[in-house]
Amino acid sequence: MVPFTEWLSQTSLSIAIQTHLWIIPTIQSIHIVGIGVVVGSVFMMNLRVLGWAGRDQSLQETVDRFGPWMSASLCVLLLTGMLMVIGEPARELLAFSFWFKMFLVAVGTVFASAFMMAVRRNEPHWEESLVKRRTTKWLAVLTLLIWATIIVLGRLIAYDHIWGSWSGTPRL
Amino acid sequence: MSITEFLAALQGSGLATSIRDSLYLFPFIESAHVIGLTLVFGTIALVDLRLLGLASTRRPFTLVVNDVLKWTWAAFALTAVTGLLMFITNAGVYYNNFYFRSKMAMLLLAGLNMLAFELTAARSVHHWDKDSSAPLSGKTVGVVSLVLWITIIFMGRWIGFTTTRAGTESKPAEEINLEELFPTETK
Repeated sequence: MVPFTEWLSQTSLSIAIQTHLWIIPTIQSIHIVGIGVVVGSVFMMNLRVLGWAGRDQSLQETVDRFGPWMSASLCVLLLTGMLMVIGEPARELLAFSFWFKMFLVAVGTVFASAFMMAVRRNEPHWEESLVKRRTTKWLAVLTLLIWATIIVLGRLIAYDHIWGSWSGTPRL
Repeated sequence: MSITEFLAALQGSGLATSIRDSLYLFPFIESAHVIGLTLVFGTIALVDLRLLGLASTRRPFTLVVNDVLKWTWAAFALTAVTGLLMFITNAGVYYNNFYFRSKMAMLLLAGLNMLAFELTAARSVHHWDKDSSAPLSGKTVGVVSLVLWITIIFMGRWIGFTTTRAGTESKPAEEINLEELFPTETK
């Protein structure tokens, strides 16, 4: 990973991001706005599953309402995230927090996609049985915890040294 | 007690010192701040987009608000507490920071914007509750709110980049200038 990191940091795009000091904070800010939209969407869908909000709307309606915002925001997050990796390769790619975060992003995305597809496929079945099951409610809580942990790990990239020897970021 | 003395007292307090001295506290307080602010922004954006007729248009406005408002306030309380905890670790620097001051001013404006909504469009909500968007006054509040909250997020990030505290965002060791440590050579 280190040679790749070094190569990436020498690419013209990386150098452009590194030399214009306003770019990284701008990308980070857009990234946070995007996380806000994802968190808002995930939160509302899970509140619906838990029966704490929007109970007058069907699961299908809830997914139709928030799903597209979530998918669009995830695309923005992927793009801004990639720009941050290109701009600061060593800070991201050598960080334990970064890879742990990527793993949880993959899990969270799979959970969300599986949930939305299942709702689209057999809504009445979900409405009457699955949502009432305790496991589904626990899955909703777990999903919220996953996204909260993703946020924590995202912030911890800036403090990766707290992981001690697990962190590969250079201690200059 | 002058403001400078007050800030120094905050910064010198036992709580501020223990946050500064801990390897973990500041990062985790900051993370909780981000969790809170994403919920604040996400839920407020949901209401703003509903006012503008861009989301949840088939759902009555009052129902959209009732679902989220308690969470918005709970999340805002979390950001306020964690924000205050971060503030006291370096009170003097934050207080004099342009982006910090701008952010506080914008939070105040966001509050006034909510008040403006309560005094205008909210009074006639029963007329437009089921319409796909709010009347002009409500739409204006929605746009102003979105612009303010997005700017508040940007300002917050800029505070992090313009105030440095050893052991946080800055890379202290990197900033050591050998010439300053060993000032024997001529410039």
